[in-house]
Amino acid sequence: MHKTLTRREFLAIAAGATAATGLAPRIRNIVIEPFVRPPEELLPGQATWYASTCRQCPAGCGIIVRTIGGRAKKIEGNPLHPLNRGKLCARGQAGLQVLYNPDRLKNAVRQSGGRGSRRFEPLYWPDALDLLGDKIATISSAGRLAFFGGLMPSHTYRLAALLLEAIGAAPPILYDLQSALEGRSVASQLSRVFFGSPDLPVYDLSHSDVVFSFGANLLETWMSPVAQSFAYGAMRQGRRGSRGLLVQFEPRLSSTAASADEWIPVRPGSEGFVALAMGRIIVEERLGHVGSHRSQAVLYQNVDVREMSAASDLPVETLRRLARAFADADRAVAIPGGYLAGQRNGFSSMLAVQALNLVVAQVGRQGGVFLSNPEPAPGLKKIPPVNTFDEVMDLIRRMKAGEIDLLLIYGANPMYELPAAAGFADAIARVPFVVSFSSFIDETAVWADLILPDHTYLESWGYQVPSPGADRPVVSSQQPVVRPLYDTNPTGEVLLGLAARLGGKPAEALPWQDEASFLQETVVELLGSSLGAYDARTPAGFWALWRQHGGWWSEKPISREPELTDVAQKALPISDPLFEGDSQEYPLHLYPYSSITLTDGRGANLPWLQETPDPMTTVQWGMWVEINPNTASSLGIDDNDIVQVESPHGSLEAPAVIYAGIRPDTVAIPVGQGHHDYGRFAQAVTGSNPMALVAPVTDPDTGALSWGATRVRLKSTGRKQILARLESLDGKGRESLG
Amino acid sequence: MAKDANPSAEIHRRWVLVVDLDRCTGCQACVVACHAENNVPVVGEKQAAYGRWMHWIIIQRYWEGEYPNVKARFMPVMCQQCTEAPCEPVCPVFATYHSEEGLNAQIYNRCIGTRFCGSACPYKVRTYNWFRPEFPEPLTEQLNPDVTVRTRGIMEKCTFCIQRIRRTEIDSQAEGRIPADGEIQPACVQTCPTNTLLFGDLNDPDSRASQLARSHRSFRLLPELGTDPGVIYLKGGETNA
Repeated sequence: MHKTLTRREFLAIAAGATAATGLAPRIRNIVIEPFVRPPEELLPGQATWYASTCRQCPAGCGIIVRTIGGRAKKIEGNPLHPLNRGKLCARGQAGLQVLYNPDRLKNAVRQSGGRGSRRFEPLYWPDALDLLGDKIATISSAGRLAFFGGLMPSHTYRLAALLLEAIGAAPPILYDLQSALEGRSVASQLSRVFFGSPDLPVYDLSHSDVVFSFGANLLETWMSPVAQSFAYGAMRQGRRGSRGLLVQFEPRLSSTAASADEWIPVRPGSEGFVALAMGRIIVEERLGHVGSHRSQAVLYQNVDVREMSAASDLPVETLRRLARAFADADRAVAIPGGYLAGQRNGFSSMLAVQALNLVVAQVGRQGGVFLSNPEPAPGLKKIPPVNTFDEVMDLIRRMKAGEIDLLLIYGANPMYELPAAAGFADAIARVPFVVSFSSFIDETAVWADLILPDHTYLESWGYQVPSPGADRPVVSSQQPVVRPLYDTNPTGEVLLGLAARLGGKPAEALPWQDEASFLQETVVELLGSSLGAYDARTPAGFWALWRQHGGWWSEKPISREPELTDVAQKALPISDPLFEGDSQEYPLHLYPYSSITLTDGRGANLPWLQETPDPMTTVQWGMWVEINPNTASSLGIDDNDIVQVESPHGSLEAPAVIYAGIRPDTVAIPVGQGHHDYGRFAQAVTGSNPMALVAPVTDPDTGALSWGATRVRLKSTGRKQILARLESLDGKGRESLG
Repeated sequence: MAKDANPSAEIHRRWVLVVDLDRCTGCQACVVACHAENNVPVVGEKQAAYGRWMHWIIIQRYWEGEYPNVKARFMPVMCQQCTEAPCEPVCPVFATYHSEEGLNAQIYNRCIGTRFCGSACPYKVRTYNWFRPEFPEPLTEQLNPDVTVRTRGIMEKCTFCIQRIRRTEIDSQAEGRIPADGEIQPACVQTCPTNTLLFGDLNDPDSRASQLARSHRSFRLLPELGTDPGVIYLKGGETNA
């Protein structure tokens, strides 16, 4: 007889089957919170805005994204966010092209023809996780696993660190080229020595009358460029009847220097001498209005102004004029920037610059220097300071020695970003199994066995504690603004999946069902805070408001005054810059600088950013060498001539740009082009990566890469390459109008 | 047509863009924002080298002096929205015309690509589609549905983001009010990190834009041509007393 199944029986069987297979429901209904609550009668074609966080650089600016019909159409700054106040830079605006990039990986892949073959076969996600889980489970000792991270969202870092700790491995090593160029690890070490805390300083530009920037490209890519640019605008014209002054000390006229009132092209590596001499003059001549400088005399006891003047190429009169301008200002601030950190005497230079703030009593005063606020809740951790280059070199040594069996790489492209002479290419070849989480096939992913592509940031969950911070405690929240386009998987979910597969300690350390529940649990620690711009009665309500606002921040500004350590009671160190390469054989200093559009090369796969002209040279889609007109004419080099640039560690060819704003003894090359992989737009450009030239030397005080300490020589090749420039060199103007 | 169809024309607005050169750092955020908002195509390296780039706003950079006393100055230049626009009378098909609120508008489906307007424009801000723009899939998803995608043979230029003006007007009309000063923001103004750019109504004496237009720092580009531009520049390096 035919037996019919009753509804009751069906439900009983279904429930039993679910329990038997041990599958908790993985799919949950999480309502996405729009920035503005739409009316219920929402019509198709009408836009909905969602708040999230920009991840094009580590700054952590708030964004709102206009979506129509489930597709993101425009990214704008979140007007409520206290860091960027509705504003966004060129890279932030180009974020849609990360999401809609035609060269994205659409699923997990395995390299079927072996590493470097660029032949990929798709992999079913559970199989990929099984494969990686097996690799981790069968590793002979946890010390043979390494995690190399770059620009990591705070929550992914925390999940990775928890998992690594549970299996007994070392925490992720954080290092990328952008953080090296902006001197992030050195800035953190400087804070520790000066203020006893690794939190990055916040310079109060908007209230400053005089800003002395020593190699800080604060209006381009350094630290938090949108917040700094906003403050710069206010410093210039935001106060009635007063206009702040900016002086830039840098061997090249960057666009920050072009915006400055005065550009002082000091000799590379001598920025610290300028600061020491100015400090000595202020203390000795009792300049300014802060009263006695007696307690600071000890700082400058070994400084001879005339020696410093000779070493830095600046006449004593100029030093005195600058010292007077700095000391006489009501509110002055000196900023030690990335170029200083890239020298072998970087740390002493940065100490000398930071000490200037002390001499004019601007530590913890309006228009001076403050510290980033600490995390507003214990669970919402910042990612720790980035690692030093020495620590990366140690990893490379261990990889070469065959001490690493499994290498996981997230958010970094070390094959492209490390100096070629560091030997990462040799080292990765000795690692038996490499996994990349990159959304794109970049130079490093090409050397991976397995690529487990992460969602792009507009499809992801997360949070970020901005560092350096704003004028108040702030956490930026990230939520998916669109449904994921492809079969990619957020790395946070992958880590949770691995923990569940490994069982035992890892599963206990990462007990969350999914990324969102981890975030929800973390975020509601802020519920009931007396500071917040909003609060809710229930955790669920708070979680909704958190996503709606795009983060959490204090209602009122809260500045954190730094506490000085005993650094002020000792003489400041004076150390000479050292350069790699003989000064006779290699007469020129190399200055590889972060591109305002491509930064350290991350933006090179976005056509909008490639098409955007460089502000100083107006070059689009290109890479070049900037040479002083006198140096160029002595070598017989003209605009667009291809020159060979040679250092003791490598050489490259690039067209010349005759550049009036650079010292005759220095050449500058933008970082970011010269990709062999990373998609059609990055590979379309004829160019080279200047990291091929950079010597892998460090500042012994900090272990940071001295990327500005390599000498080079130039040779004309007799060939030409016409760069695409917005600016016409022959005065003929545009063809379209002819 | 309903009487309230065009609220700005009714209250005699004159849209102007104020560019404070003392704030501009040449950061290019406006350039990318404009590409994103207005579906401006990317032409690639080869065409860009021919001078066929298609930015609606560019940051011009001028050198002054020689090393070491060298200075570089930035100047964002976009369609100046001239009152007496040289591009308008030369168009044989009336594709470019003048709106009642001071905008120099371009009707794409009238344009036949003579490029007369581009030749007549003294500011060189009009760009021409030499080829059919390409958006490799799925880059088409980035396109703003409020703005036409222009095809080969069409001249295009900055519109002061007319779609954003209309959107704000329609939204505020639905709420029974007129847009507040500063509420209407073209994409470049919205993103500008230093607040170099400011948009407003010159005919409203209380608007921030009209106040800045009366500043001692204000000037317009090529005033001797008598074009009466709708873009007002503020000289850099001086205090706004």
